Amino acid sequence: MGPLLSGKTYDFLRTETTMSAPPKPVPLTTVESTETSESGAQTLTLSVGPQHSGSGHMRLIVEVDGDIIVNVAPDPGYVHRGIEKIIELRNIIKSIPVIERPSIIDASNLNHAWVRSIEEIQGVEVPRRGQYLRSLLNEMNRIMSHLYWLSIYGVFLGHTTMFMWPLGDRELFIDLAEKLTGARITYSYLVPGGVRRDLPPGFAEEAIKRTEYFEKRLKEYDRIFFNNPLFTSRAKGIGVLSKEKAIDLGCTGPTLRGSGVDADLRKDEPYAAYPELDFEVSTRPDGDSFSRAMVHMDEMRESCKIIRQIVKKIPSGPIRRKAPIVLPRGIAYGRVESARGECSFYLIGEGGDKPYRARYITGSYRNMAAIPAVLLGNRLADMPTAWWSIDYWPVEADR
Amino acid sequence: MSAQRPAQEEDPVATLAEGLSIWVGKLSDLVKKVVDTGPIRNVINWARMYSLWPVNITTACCSAEFGAASGARHDLERFGVLPIGSLRQSDLIVIEGTITKKMAKRLRMIYDQMALPRYVIAMGDCAMSGGLFHDSYSIVNGAHEFVPVDVYVPGCPPRPEALEQAIIMLQEKIRRSKVYEQG
Repeated sequence: MGPLLSGKTYDFLRTETTMSAPPKPVPLTTVESTETSESGAQTLTLSVGPQHSGSGHMRLIVEVDGDIIVNVAPDPGYVHRGIEKIIELRNIIKSIPVIERPSIIDASNLNHAWVRSIEEIQGVEVPRRGQYLRSLLNEMNRIMSHLYWLSIYGVFLGHTTMFMWPLGDRELFIDLAEKLTGARITYSYLVPGGVRRDLPPGFAEEAIKRTEYFEKRLKEYDRIFFNNPLFTSRAKGIGVLSKEKAIDLGCTGPTLRGSGVDADLRKDEPYAAYPELDFEVSTRPDGDSFSRAMVHMDEMRESCKIIRQIVKKIPSGPIRRKAPIVLPRGIAYGRVESARGECSFYLIGEGGDKPYRARYITGSYRNMAAIPAVLLGNRLADMPTAWWSIDYWPVEADR
Repeated sequence: MSAQRPAQEEDPVATLAEGLSIWVGKLSDLVKKVVDTGPIRNVINWARMYSLWPVNITTACCSAEFGAASGARHDLERFGVLPIGSLRQSDLIVIEGTITKKMAKRLRMIYDQMALPRYVIAMGDCAMSGGLFHDSYSIVNGAHEFVPVDVYVPGCPPRPEALEQAIIMLQEKIRRSKVYEQG
């Protein structure tokens, strides 16, 4: 028990800040300035986003010399909604939908980190069937999230088939999740103490059928996209992030594993049903855009295997144990491996039904540091390939 | 008309220009009347209805459902909705979710740069009234605070079917409206 738990006051954590003048914003014009660099060459500063077909809800301020990128500054915050503050104002159950919103294509994984940290403070044990159901929805979410990423990758590279196919196949799992939870993408399925609903009848057969069909589709993806020179010539050797650099920058998730680091919380710190399941962590040594893309593909295959294992060996029993809606005094750190990397909550309870403070860190937030690293030195035309291979979801990073 | 004016302002060129402008004004009124009452209006509205190209701007998480609606199962292109990068060629903004104060300025800039006629769909509870984040310090409670909105789509997030319904409602609105009063 640390000093924070024994003492009464920990007000130093929530210091009063005075609003200082905001930094001078960069003008919104597309072409901002031309400057002369030290080598005598003229550089041009471009603003990519937020209204740009290759940016998403964020802006990258890119400085180019000719068409070589010499400087990149990400400008996040277009979707900052103050979720950490909102959590302090709502009780722990009502916070669940708010916590899901930063990444609604990966909602249950973020939800899992939240309920894990609550359960750690409350000391509630989740029944084994509940743990399996949690892992089941997590893996379905991982596939959906990767498919959404892949479809946007297709758009960025001008490959319309790769936009349509993943979104179409994503509906397979959306239907499955709708059967299980009642919602398409925002489930609020995981609650402290377990899950909300049990498996519907006929779910196991349907899940096995759909995952087997989906694995066949993944082979077709390889044929049309990942073995296609249109993609390989643009992705191999582009946006290289070395192993040391990835670790230094604090990358996580597929970005880290694409650089050859074997780090996956499902193996390193097993939670839910993962210790009893058989799966492999996919790593690729090269660290370029192609490796990161292939890590995503491998993870989808592994997730299909995990889903089939879960529906086959799910134990019987209760799905939920009664947990109080009170957050006792205490500190917890709950983390899970979400689709974009490690998602964690640092939670402080003070006895009421609301947390005193909840620090919320997501995978995209940590991977933002890798954006300049993969872009520097590349050509401007390679920007979409290198940038989107990081799987940066601005809503999740801004919270 | 020129006879009633004082003699010192008698400038033949100015008189001619004024007379012409009056005639041009009358002519344009006549053209508007003819266009708005006749079958020409139906043709123009038909063309506008089925080529609604939304700007490629995403504000928050409803973009996931917008993506699903553009994708294989729901395919908004059936309704002539094709997301496009160039805002000079687009007619529609689909505001996808929460609008932060930072994004609201950009959205208004984009709206101002678009050519007439232009339409706005506010998608999701957040774009309608703030939704889940109504008490947040950094968001704008509703898109109508800075752009005129044509259709609201409730839901958090709305299902793709709801977005399709909104597109159909907007098309119906365009079909009924007058050519020169749109946008």
